[in-house]
Amino acid sequence: MSDADEPTRYRRMQDLPSTHLLGSGTSLCAGCGGLGAFRELYEVLGERTVVVNAAGCMSLLATHPFTPFRGSWLYSAMASAPAGAQGVRDALDILIAKRRIPADEDLDVVVLTGDGAASGMGLSATSAAIDRGLDFIYLCYDNEGYGNTGQQSSASTPHGARTATDRGPRGYPGVKKDLFALWVANRPAYAATIIAAEPVDLARKVEKAKRMKGPRLLLALAPCPPGWGFDPKDSIEIGRLAVRTGVWPLLEYADGRVVRTKHYEPRLPVERYLERQRRFAHLFEPRRDEQTLAAIQTAVDEACARVT
Amino acid sequence: MYRIRLHGRGGQGIQTGARILASALFVEGFETQDSPLYGAERRGAPVSATVRAARAPIRERGLPARADLIAVGDESLLGVAAAGVLRDADERSWLLIRSGVAAEIWRSRLGRSERVATFALEVEEGAELPLVGAACAGAAARMLGVVSRASLESALERELAALSAQARAASAARAFAAWDELAALAGCVTEEPAPIGAPLPRPDWVDVPLDPADVAAPDIRVPLTSVQVRTGLWRTLRPVIDDALCRRCSWLCSSFCPDGAISIDPDGRPCIDYDHCKGCLVCAAVCPPHAIRVEREAGRATEPEKVG
Ligand SMILES: Cc1ncc(C[n+]2csc(CCOP(=O)(O)OP(=O)(O)O)c2C)c(N)n1
Ligand code: SF4
Ligand code: SF4
Ligand code: SF4
Repeated sequence: MSDADEPTRYRRMQDLPSTHLLGSGTSLCAGCGGLGAFRELYEVLGERTVVVNAAGCMSLLATHPFTPFRGSWLYSAMASAPAGAQGVRDALDILIAKRRIPADEDLDVVVLTGDGAASGMGLSATSAAIDRGLDFIYLCYDNEGYGNTGQQSSASTPHGARTATDRGPRGYPGVKKDLFALWVANRPAYAATIIAAEPVDLARKVEKAKRMKGPRLLLALAPCPPGWGFDPKDSIEIGRLAVRTGVWPLLEYADGRVVRTKHYEPRLPVERYLERQRRFAHLFEPRRDEQTLAAIQTAVDEACARVT
Repeated sequence: MYRIRLHGRGGQGIQTGARILASALFVEGFETQDSPLYGAERRGAPVSATVRAARAPIRERGLPARADLIAVGDESLLGVAAAGVLRDADERSWLLIRSGVAAEIWRSRLGRSERVATFALEVEEGAELPLVGAACAGAAARMLGVVSRASLESALERELAALSAQARAASAARAFAAWDELAALAGCVTEEPAPIGAPLPRPDWVDVPLDPADVAAPDIRVPLTSVQVRTGLWRTLRPVIDDALCRRCSWLCSSFCPDGAISIDPDGRPCIDYDHCKGCLVCAAVCPPHAIRVEREAGRATEPEKVG
């Protein structure tokens, strides 16, 4: 359709779309960072989409008979959204080949999934879809837990965070699974990390992904007021802190290389991010857990050192 | 049997309140049932929880057809038809409202001749404890007159065990304050001896005609129906744009509103859609010149609902 080297349309806030394509009236939480990211993405991607949605918070976007989408939406089980996307892609290709619909009425196939499905149950279906070179956009909103069922730990929960299933004084003992690295290791067409708090960076990445073909990952950190324990009004602020502390570096993978698309130097200490969320409160009270705080800072420093 | 319903908004601890009340009755030797009913499962959305208690085994199931006591933790819900606060209230039902407005004013507003009580409880903005639910439980327990202070205390300990000592103490203090406030009405709520509801008639064969595709498959055929759902009902605080202070900056508020509830009119002025603004206050938090004021929604509780 279009040229991958075409210059970006989005350079400043003023360039962002001013009409909101995604309908309001959805039942997601006030201040949901995942909804914020998805809405910004949908405005750039446009309405010519089929959204294949794995069970999770975002599947409450469309609760019969209501839908906020302008295009079609398909609900899938937690593990199988990429398989559903394959079916939709095949159907579209066949309809176009048989001239039942004209080629210029093709639609973008978009998987919409939480981190629990993406890095757990849905991972093998995703991996297979990448192997097959499926032509789709894969949007994972990462609220770092099984949000819809009450924020149980997922493979994407960060080390030390308290969740509904890790209530002890040390929180989640595991380490956050690096879904971006898993994708990159499989050589997709494109992969990027995004966040609602950086809408221009987000819009540029969506614009880029839209012009390409093949498996494309957009991985959005999704600050979650009830799951992470912060006031909904701080949703954007928490997102900004995630980027500015290096907890959520804004990355892009294309042409075999990972680059950082936005730098904030010097980085803020991770504590500035952690101390704003109740899921990390036990690291500060009743006494500071120096060991865990230092371990988290070191992990962030090392991750940031790996990308330029 | 006592049948009691608590109403509040997601995040106010209404489910916990019902558990506390049921536990206190259990400690007193009652058989009990408690069951929460979530709508959208979201913070801010209307939630209710029902408690049944009897000296004999409880064979009733499902939602009771009427309640002896309806405790309302958030007065703004009385203006929200969808919350169904007064559903099936009859002349025997007591209404308990958390409100700074006197009971006789509520009586005249609601067209009731008697059986309305109020209790006061200020909750600091952003308080995340189950304070409202605990206070409703304390007030309701007192109005039943069959729960001792000691039983309420043991129920609070049991049900709030997972919270920090500070949070437990704050919730218990609110519960006992409400208990004290309703001393004059101790025992006013009496048991309804008769079983409720006639046996259901045998189901008859019903022909369900097929819906037209536009009705049966809105996710494919009819875009953007979600705007019919007015999530403005969730709001307890209201953002108000001060036109004189607004700099028509690059529509920061509009880009960051997760719900897309702020549109920009042709002369660059932001405008909030109150039918769909959930009151997260992200807009107020990101507005650089602080042009967005925050007002309490409570005063507007009994404004008639706009339809359409
Ligand atoms: C196979 C299967 N197991 C469990 C569930 C119940 N369930 C529905 S949503 C959900 C949580 C999904 O978590 P995630 O993918 O992280 O998305 P989020 O809820 O955070 O949006 C679960 C466990 C399900 N729908 N299907
Ligand atoms: S639980 Fe979190 S991710 Fe899910 S809708 Fe609420 S804020 Fe969004
Ligand atoms: S962010 Fe504030 S100043 Fe900017 S357009 Fe919105 S209300 Fe006006
Ligand atoms: S409070 Fe502001 S940001 Fe939140 S939904 Fe309402 S208009 Fe949007």
